[in-house]
Amino acid sequence: MEERVKQLQQEATSALHQADDLIALQDARVKILGKKGLLTEVMKGMRDLSAEERPVIGALVNTFKSQFESSFITRQLELQKRDIAAKLANEKIDVTLPGRKTTSGSLHPVTLVTNEVVEIFSRLGFAVAEGPEIEQDFYNFEALNIPKDHPARDMQDTFYISDDRVLRTHTSPVQIRTMVKHKPPIRIIAPGTVYRRDSDLTHSPMFHQVEGFLVDERVTFGDLKGILTHFLNEFFGKGHSVRFRPSFFPFTEPSAEVDIECVICGGKGCRVCGRTGWLEILGCGMIDPEVFKSVDYDVDTYSGFAFGMGLERIAMLKYGVNDLRLFFDNDLRFLKQF
Amino acid sequence: MIVTYNWLKEFVDFQYPAQDLCDRLTMIGLEVDALVNIGGDLDSVIVAHLDSVEPHPDADRLTVCQVNTGTEVVQVVCGATNHKTGDLIALAQPGSVLPGDFKIKKSKIRGQVSQGMLCSEKELALAEDSPGIMILPEKLPLGQPVFDALGLKDYQIEIGLTPNRPDCLSVVGVAREVAALCGEKLKFPDIQISEAEAAIDELTSVTIENPEGCPRYAARMIKGVKIGPSPDWMVRRLEAVGMRSINNVVDVTNYVMLELGHPLHAFDFKHLRDGKIVVKSAQQGEKFTTLDDQAHSLNAEDLMICDGQQPVAMAGVMGGLDSEVKDDTETILLEAAYFKPTMIRRTSKRHGLHTESSHRFERGADIDMIPVALDRAASLIAELSGGHVLSGMIDNYPRQLTSLDLEISATRTEKLLDIDVDCNTIQSLLESIGLQVTSGSHSDCLNVRVPSFRPDIEREVDLIEEVARLYGYDQIPVSMPVGTVDAKLPPLRQLIQKTLQQSMVTAGFSETINYSFVASDSVQKVGITADDKRSEQVKILNPLSEDQSVMRTSLVPSLLETVSRNLNYRSSDLRLFELRPVFLPHETDDQHKEQLSLAALISGQREPEGWSQSAAAVDFYDLKGVVEEILANLNIYNVSFDSSATQPYLHPGKSCQLMSGQLLLGFLGEVHPEVLAEFGIDQSVYLFELDVENIIEVAGEHAQFKALSRFPDMIRDTALLLDETIIADQVMDIVNRGKIRFFESATFFDLYTGKGVPAGKKSLAVRVRYRDLEKTLTEAEVNKSHDKLIRSLCHQLDAEIR
Repeated sequence: MEERVKQLQQEATSALHQADDLIALQDARVKILGKKGLLTEVMKGMRDLSAEERPVIGALVNTFKSQFESSFITRQLELQKRDIAAKLANEKIDVTLPGRKTTSGSLHPVTLVTNEVVEIFSRLGFAVAEGPEIEQDFYNFEALNIPKDHPARDMQDTFYISDDRVLRTHTSPVQIRTMVKHKPPIRIIAPGTVYRRDSDLTHSPMFHQVEGFLVDERVTFGDLKGILTHFLNEFFGKGHSVRFRPSFFPFTEPSAEVDIECVICGGKGCRVCGRTGWLEILGCGMIDPEVFKSVDYDVDTYSGFAFGMGLERIAMLKYGVNDLRLFFDNDLRFLKQF
Repeated sequence: MIVTYNWLKEFVDFQYPAQDLCDRLTMIGLEVDALVNIGGDLDSVIVAHLDSVEPHPDADRLTVCQVNTGTEVVQVVCGATNHKTGDLIALAQPGSVLPGDFKIKKSKIRGQVSQGMLCSEKELALAEDSPGIMILPEKLPLGQPVFDALGLKDYQIEIGLTPNRPDCLSVVGVAREVAALCGEKLKFPDIQISEAEAAIDELTSVTIENPEGCPRYAARMIKGVKIGPSPDWMVRRLEAVGMRSINNVVDVTNYVMLELGHPLHAFDFKHLRDGKIVVKSAQQGEKFTTLDDQAHSLNAEDLMICDGQQPVAMAGVMGGLDSEVKDDTETILLEAAYFKPTMIRRTSKRHGLHTESSHRFERGADIDMIPVALDRAASLIAELSGGHVLSGMIDNYPRQLTSLDLEISATRTEKLLDIDVDCNTIQSLLESIGLQVTSGSHSDCLNVRVPSFRPDIEREVDLIEEVARLYGYDQIPVSMPVGTVDAKLPPLRQLIQKTLQQSMVTAGFSETINYSFVASDSVQKVGITADDKRSEQVKILNPLSEDQSVMRTSLVPSLLETVSRNLNYRSSDLRLFELRPVFLPHETDDQHKEQLSLAALISGQREPEGWSQSAAAVDFYDLKGVVEEILANLNIYNVSFDSSATQPYLHPGKSCQLMSGQLLLGFLGEVHPEVLAEFGIDQSVYLFELDVENIIEVAGEHAQFKALSRFPDMIRDTALLLDETIIADQVMDIVNRGKIRFFESATFFDLYTGKGVPAGKKSLAVRVRYRDLEKTLTEAEVNKSHDKLIRSLCHQLDAEIR
C-alpha cells in the first residue's frame, strides 16, 4: 500500500510536469484527484488495511494531497505567467511614434514678461495700476514736467488725437493718475501699451512699457538702486553686473540709466550690446519735486523713485528674439514657441 | 556731439587712454555712443626712406624704388615724378587697405616686383587732391605708422547727449567734465587779437527791436579778408567731427562753435543794406531765402536779423542766401548773439530747419561766452584769411540775464542720496565743474552761483544731482526701502483678465498682439455699417500711414488679417485670441471709452495633425464649447445663446449673441463667406468677440459647492421625435424647470435626421441622470419621474418617443 502511494506520488509529479498549458494541468488534476482518479483508486485499498496501518497510510495520503495541491498551484502560476508573457510579447508597439497631441495654447511673449515683471514686483508690495491709452496732454506731458516747447519733447514723437489728447508716449501718466487719487505710501507697477511715431527695424509705433514707482517718507537713491538691482537679479538671474549711470528725464532728478552686463556675451562685447559689454535696460530716477507739486504732495515730507522699461526689449533679451517686428506679425510659428 | 581725443587734450591735461576716457565719460552722464580710431586702419602705412630711385627698364613713366623701412629694404614700382633718392615717403605695405577699400597687394609691374605702394595725400584721405606722392618731413622715425609720426592719430568720440546738457555741445564743455574727472584745470585758448585803427562803430550799428527774443547781440568786423580754402589742420579737424570744409571764414565760425559751443554767423558786409543790423520779428508772409536756397514764407513770430531794409538771416537758425560769404567777400560782419530758446525752437520747427546753430540755441546757449567766441573767431579769421579786425566790439546787451544763486544743504543731499557727504566734499565736487561755491546761511548749507553755461541747473535738487553724478552713482550704497506695504489682492478686473488669459491658453489658443490703429475702412471690410457705433472711430491726426490711421473699435478685422497672414505662412490650423482694448465712442460726451475686448477664432482641423488623429474640421460647436468653458471658469451661469440677433460679418444661420439677462456679452459664429473673401481666406473661420467689461459685471467671485451623493445614479435614455424647428434650448428648459423628483442632470447624446425619421422631423436623444442624496433609488421611483418628464416634453413640444 505504501508502495502504491509512492508510485502515485511519482505519477502525479510527472503529470503536473508534463501538463504544458492550463487545460492540460486541469486534466492532470482530475486524473489524480478526480472522483475516478488515481487517488480514489488507491484509496479503495484502504479497506484491506489493518487498524494499525490505516492511520499511517492515511497520514501518508494526506501529505501527498497537500503536497500535490501546492505543486499544482506552483505549476499553475508558472503557466499563467508564461501565458501572460507570451501575450504581452505579441502586443509590442512602436514607442517612437509621436504621442497623440492636444492643441496647446500660448501667451504672447510680451504678456509673459509682463506677468513675470509684475510677479516680481508684487512680492515687493507693488500693486498693479492701469491707465488709458488715449491720454490727456496734462497727464502725458505737463504734469510730468514736460511743458510745451521743452526740448525733451524731442525725444518723443507723438501721435495726436486732438490738441490736448495723445496716444500716450509712455506709461508714466499712470504715476500722475495714481498720485492724484492716493496719498503715500504708494508702491505701483503699471504695465501698458504705448505709442511713438517711429517705425523701422528697431522701432515699432506701438510697444509696451512697464512703469514702477514708490513714494514714501525718506525714500532714497540707494533704495532705488536696491529695488532695481533685486529686480534685475530676479529677472535675468544673478551674476550679471548692474550699473547705474547719470541720465536725464524731465520727471526725475537725479535720473539714471541702468545697464546690465550683456546677457548674450557675458560682458565680453558682441553685436547685441554694440560691443560695449553692457545692455541699457531701464531709465529711472528720484521723482522730480515739480511732479510732486503737480499732484499736491508735500515735497519736504515725501520722496520717491520711478522707473520705466521697454517690455519688448527685455523679452528680446530673455528669449533671444532678434527682430522686433516678430512681436506684432503674429506668426503662429513664432507665438507657439513661448 | 562729436569731439576728438586730441582736441580735448588742448583744453585739459588728462592721461586716460581713449577707451578709459569714454568709459569715464559714460559713467559721469555723457554717454559715449561710439569711439572711432581715426587712421587706425592705416597702421601698416609706415614712414620709409627712398634708398634709390631708378627708371623702370621697360616703362618710361615708372620708377623702381628701393625703399628702406628701417628693418628691411623692399622694391616698389612708382608712377609719380616728385620723388627722389633720400626722400622720406609713406609706404603702404602689402595687406594695407586704403580709404575707398583700396587693397594693397604684392605684385609685378611690367616685370618688376612691387612690394607695396608709395602713397599720396589723396590716397590717405588727407587731401582732396594731390599732385604727386606725399614727401614726409625729414627726421621721422623709419617704420613708424605715418599717422602716428605726423601726429594725425586721433579718436573720434561720439557722445549721445541728454537734452539738458547744452554746455557739452562743445569741446570745452566736454573738457570741463574731463577736468572734473581727473582733477586738472580747464585750459582756455589764448586769444590774441590785434585790432586795426578803424573802429567798428564808425561803419555799422546794431539795433535790437525785440530784446525779449534777443537779449544780447555782439558783432565784430574784419576787413580785407581773402576767401580761400582753410589750412589742412582745420579741414582735418572739421572732417574728424563730421563737418565739411567750406572756406576759411565759414570754417572758423563752425570751428569756434564746435570748440566753445557758441554759434556764430559771418555776413558779407557789402550785402548789408545801409550797413547795419536790426534784430526784429518778421512780417507775416514775408519771403526769405536761406543759404541752402530754400524759400520760406515767414511767420510774425520768427525772429529775423535784418539789414536796413530786409531780413538777412533767420536768427539762430540759418543765414540768408544773399548775404552769405562768397569768394569775392572782403569785409565780414561777424555775429555772436543769444536768442530765446523757445523762439528758435518754434522757428526751426515751423520751417523744418534743424541746424547745428538752432540745436544749440534751442537748448540754451551760454550768454557769457558771446564776447569770448567773437574774439576767438575774429582772431582766427584774421589769421587764416589775411584780414584785419577793426577796433572795438559792438555789444548790445539790453536784457542782462541775472545769474542764479542757489542753496544746497548737506543734510538734504544725504537724505535723498543716502550717502555721507559734508559741505567740504560738496563744495569741491561742485567747484570741479566750474560752479562758484561760497559758505551758506548756516553751517549745513552752501551758496552756489550757477554759471551761464549751465541753464539746466535751476533748483537745489539739480545741484544734488550734480553731487551724485560727480560722487559716482556706483559709489552710492544699495539699500531696500522701509515702510508699510499695501498687500491687498489685485482687483477683480485684473484677476478676470488673468483667468481669461489662462482659459484661452488651456483651450489651445495662442495670444496675438495687433496694432491698436488700423485702416479707417477696416470696419467696412467686415460689413459694419455707418450707423453702427463702431464706425465712429477715433482718428489719429498725424498717422504714419493710412493703414494705421484710426483706433480700432473691434478686434475682428485685425484678427482676420492675422489669419490671412498665417495662411500665407502655411499655418492653417489656427486658434488665436487677442485680449486688448477697443476704442469706442462714449455714450454721453464726445470723448471715447476704452473697452476691454476678448476676441478669438478657430479654423482648420479640430485636432493637431498626427498619425492617429482625426482630420475633422472645426465647427461652430468647437467655438461654443470654448465660450462655455470661459463662462464656467468665471462662474457665470444663466446665459443664453440667442440667434435672434447677430453680426454682419457672421453667417446668419450659424451665429448668435451671448446674453446674460438683458446684458450683451458678445457674439459668436461662423465668419460670413463674403467677409472671408475680403480677407482672401479660403477656409471656414469661427470667431467670437466678447465685451470683457460686461463679463466683469456678471462674473461670480467663486464657485458654489453642491453636496455629493453617496448613492448610485440611475440613467434613462430617451430619443424624442421632434419637429425640426424645435431648438435644443426648448427641450432643456422643460427638463431643467420641470421640477422632476430625483432629477440630477441631463445631456443630449444624439441628434439624427434621415432614414427612419419623417421629413420635417428630427430625433434628439436625451440622457437623464437621477440620484438622491439620502438613499438608493428604486426602479419604480425613477420610472415614475422619467415618465412624468417625457410626458411633459411630449405634451409641450408635440413630441413623440422614437
